[in-house]
Amino acid sequence: MTPQALSNVKVIEFSDFISGPYCGKLLSNMGAQVIKVEKPGLGDKARSYGPFPQHIPHPEKSGLFLFLNTNKSGITLDVASADGLKIFQELIKWADILIEDHSVKEIERLGLTYAALKKINPSLIMTSITPFGQTGPFKDYKGNDLIAAHAGTEGFGNPDEGVKDPASMPPLKVPNHAADFMCGLTAAACTLGALLGRKNGGQGQHIDLSKQEAVASITRQQLAYYSVMEETPSREWGRKKFGGFLYPCRDGYVVIWIGPHYHLVVKMMGDPDWSKEEMFANPLMRNNYIVELNQLITAWTLEHTAVEINNLALEYGVPCSLVRSVKDLIADEQLAYRNFWQEIDHPVAGKLKYPGAPFKLSTTPGIINRPAPLLGEHNDIVYGEILKYSQEQLTKMKQAGII
Amino acid sequence: MNKKLSLPLEGIRVLDFCQMWAGPHATEWLSVMGAEVIKVETSSRIDYMRTVGAPPGMAGKGPNVGSAFASLNWGKKSITLNMTTPKGQELAKKLIKLCDVVAENFGGGVLERWGLSYEEMKKIKPDIIYYAGSGYGRSGPHKERPAYAEIVDAFSGATFSNGYPGGEPNVIGVSPWTDGAQAIHGAVAMMTALYYKQNTGDGQYIDAAMIEGHANFLGEMVMGYIINGAVGQPVGNRDAFMAPHGCYPCKKTGDEDEWIALAVADQKEWEALCKSMGNPDWTKNDAFRDEPGRWENQEELDKYLSEWTRQYGAYELTERLQKAGIAATPSFSTRQLTHDTHISARGFFKKPLHPVLGDKVLAGLPIKFSDYAEGNYQTPPLLGEHNDYVFGQLLGLSQDEIRRLTEEKVLS
Repeated sequence: MTPQALSNVKVIEFSDFISGPYCGKLLSNMGAQVIKVEKPGLGDKARSYGPFPQHIPHPEKSGLFLFLNTNKSGITLDVASADGLKIFQELIKWADILIEDHSVKEIERLGLTYAALKKINPSLIMTSITPFGQTGPFKDYKGNDLIAAHAGTEGFGNPDEGVKDPASMPPLKVPNHAADFMCGLTAAACTLGALLGRKNGGQGQHIDLSKQEAVASITRQQLAYYSVMEETPSREWGRKKFGGFLYPCRDGYVVIWIGPHYHLVVKMMGDPDWSKEEMFANPLMRNNYIVELNQLITAWTLEHTAVEINNLALEYGVPCSLVRSVKDLIADEQLAYRNFWQEIDHPVAGKLKYPGAPFKLSTTPGIINRPAPLLGEHNDIVYGEILKYSQEQLTKMKQAGII
Repeated sequence: MNKKLSLPLEGIRVLDFCQMWAGPHATEWLSVMGAEVIKVETSSRIDYMRTVGAPPGMAGKGPNVGSAFASLNWGKKSITLNMTTPKGQELAKKLIKLCDVVAENFGGGVLERWGLSYEEMKKIKPDIIYYAGSGYGRSGPHKERPAYAEIVDAFSGATFSNGYPGGEPNVIGVSPWTDGAQAIHGAVAMMTALYYKQNTGDGQYIDAAMIEGHANFLGEMVMGYIINGAVGQPVGNRDAFMAPHGCYPCKKTGDEDEWIALAVADQKEWEALCKSMGNPDWTKNDAFRDEPGRWENQEELDKYLSEWTRQYGAYELTERLQKAGIAATPSFSTRQLTHDTHISARGFFKKPLHPVLGDKVLAGLPIKFSDYAEGNYQTPPLLGEHNDYVFGQLLGLSQDEIRRLTEEKVLS
């Protein structure tokens, strides 16, 4: 059997939608035993978010939910009830890690503060994901993906080129719930740190993950620029000085990264006369005249198709990509060669292709061997076999709406 | 024995050949959590980030002026070692014997050329964890392609879906977003391998491709295509169900434009918003009565809402809306966030006390443990600052040998 790096790690995931579940997925796909606690009835919000086949909502067919919850067991539990709380506390005794994303006030109301849970399980690692953290003037503020992106400066900074009319084009969140994913990933890194520390002789731990900080941490380079260079940020078009630029072509867009590759870029364009001008003589000069340089490059890209440019770039070693849709990513030969995609059969949603592990570990590769759980699918196993409730007790709990 | 750790990764040592953004930030996570990360550079080929983001008047003045470098290399130790010399390679091998992890993000083949392929490394240190970060992975037809964050964003479909509703694609900014994802996936991968090593004594090889991490980050859109053949489109600040859900202009109360992001999740919050606005007539419009109606008519709704938001400063309005139970935040610029009292109260910014950068603040990492110290925020290292410690104390070379090897351009 292929070994799994985290196979002896037990996790309770008491969180909704994307951030907590992506954190849990990173652990479950490396072998951790993750029990996902959902509220009876509707379950996780991602179940009602989609995408759905033919856009018809169905709690077992949401692509987002299916993707985020592979390899997990699923139970339903009304944690707000007295019996539900008791059961949750039993799960905490069993667990190494709790991932939760409730507000500070809600956790207090439910009786699930770290101080309370630590008494039940002193070695527990509790990862709390909140919009602005557990402390500070904004600690009780609500948030979501949009709020995290804007609170962490990523909204103000997007798009990277700036905009043509800053007054009518607002700061823009990053696409596809990217901020929520970043927060979940960041929570996983903190959680693994605490797990390693515990293995190393350390203690149980409460992790206070602020989504605002998780996003702001990614803009660290630009935060440093403000602090050190006293560079006042603006949203004006043309503010970007280096890195990758978007160029329109005859039939779409390409992104080219000039940087230290200027000589390759101009060679690819046939060494035009302008490329030898004094104003483009060195990187510092090129940064000062980046708008002019990009205009000249654009005049050339507009005469070619995106594929022509991409092929030339590959030939000349210029960092470049077509601006492609996710369709092309899924069809890409590189990912096929590396056996990235995994086909998984789900009892209701059927056989679908899923993204595989985000990194390849040679001895303990992440393997998806179970589809996302149906709502309450593992109630009998978790309550019966792990917590040792009798069939009779289970029936009673079901009737009372606790599970 | 229950020893008291001050940081969770104490006792773990990393030899770090990473350069630029994603690699250094991955090992920075380990460093801030207490690992001893030894960064290897050569004077003739320093980490480019050492020159990026210099204070006014300091551009081009040596290898210690880059604020970009400082923000990506908290707490590390720096050595200069010329890896193209046999002696340099021999010393690197001695260091590897003392390490748990070797990390690099070169274009493929560099460590092989130095005689440090994973297979060779295992002969020196059988339980070594080797982290190889790259754009497209270390196998397959694209393995040689140069990659940067913006290139991978375009390749993966993220740029395609980044923009205003109905508008053109845009490069994601202001940070190298995909580098961020790659870095933290890398930290997760290394810590996962370290955990396995602590349990079994076995190391392993990590092949981390940006495109594979990113295909996970785009999981929602990937599944949308697989399920429905939908390729997605730019939707700006909008949500698939919620409206209003966007970013709106505010009154300028300082030097910069102000904006507020806000999201209304359900009918109750909509009513709370209406009440906050004093229930103006337009909110009674039939088009805005229920969630589907507001979503269908959100362009018009946003126009009305903007007229209201622009009467107030972003902070003032955030406080008012949050008190009414509505998710809201100023859309911070880097400048505004640096002066924000909430994030400062939480200690997010740290002072590097750096000889060139002084006490200008830099972002810390979003790591807050209840029972450990706040993190290893030692001053980001000057080039070669720790040669004496690493070659003298760790490898046991005498001061004379260190001097000689420095003159011979091995420790250079």
